[in-house]
Amino acid sequence: MRGPVLAAAGEAMGGAGGPLARTIRAKLTAALQPTHLEVRNDSPRHGGPPGAETHFGVLVVSGRFAGLPLLQRHRLVHEALRAELAGPLHALQVIARTPQQWQSDPHAPPAPPCLGGSKREQRRG
Amino acid sequence: MRAAVRTGWRIGAAAALRGRAGRPLSQAAGEGGEAEGGGGGSGSREAVERLVREHPVVVFMKGSPAQPLCGFSNAVVQILRLHGVEDYRAHDVLQDPDLRQGIKNYSNWPTIPQVYLNGEFVGGCDILLQMHQNGDLVEELKKLGIRSALLDAEKDQEKK
Repeated sequence: MRGPVLAAAGEAMGGAGGPLARTIRAKLTAALQPTHLEVRNDSPRHGGPPGAETHFGVLVVSGRFAGLPLLQRHRLVHEALRAELAGPLHALQVIARTPQQWQSDPHAPPAPPCLGGSKREQRRG
Repeated sequence: MRAAVRTGWRIGAAAALRGRAGRPLSQAAGEGGEAEGGGGGSGSREAVERLVREHPVVVFMKGSPAQPLCGFSNAVVQILRLHGVEDYRAHDVLQDPDLRQGIKNYSNWPTIPQVYLNGEFVGGCDILLQMHQNGDLVEELKKLGIRSALLDAEKDQEKK
């Protein structure tokens, strides 16, 4: 798939999103040449105000993952987003599949519900 | 009750690592500041190494197994519970900022939760979920001498 086709598919899937969403999409596209890519902003589900970009989920389908165990696949995704993860990106859910895997099972599990996280940082027991 | 006792022990241990003067031991020993430690003390490579080796199953999470404070951490707890794994070491990184940074440095992994099996980092919530779904987790637990409860559940179903 060429760049413009992927970008169009991305727009159709979830809208352009904010600046961080666009950065994530661009970096993952450049690093992994995915055949399918979904970038989902989960920040509202974690209590973020409108426009917040802190919690994301990405579904990356790429031939680059072939032969790699899950840990290595996720590390490739993290590497592409190293600057963002050191910065505003607080949480990142990752689904990393090869094109064959995605074809045989084109579904991704939903993200787990938020349980408060750092907002509830306080000493307990 | 057990979780509270364990938490108390961990906080005590972290304080002990810092030494009476309140400074991290690595600095007190005169070594130069290391970029890799999370400020030394409980976040140092040595301290984390001790933690990941103290039990076959070690989890770094937000909150505790009794009360997870993050959906991803909760998912890890629930998956382990499904397999009947209730005896493991869980460390609440929200209680210890040095450990929170130190564990990320140690595994070169940017997020919490982190799961270690036999001292080896296996991944976070997403990976554990996939290992659970594809049967790999049952196999990995078996290597640790832990029999997954799901195997017994399957056997019960076959009997019916």
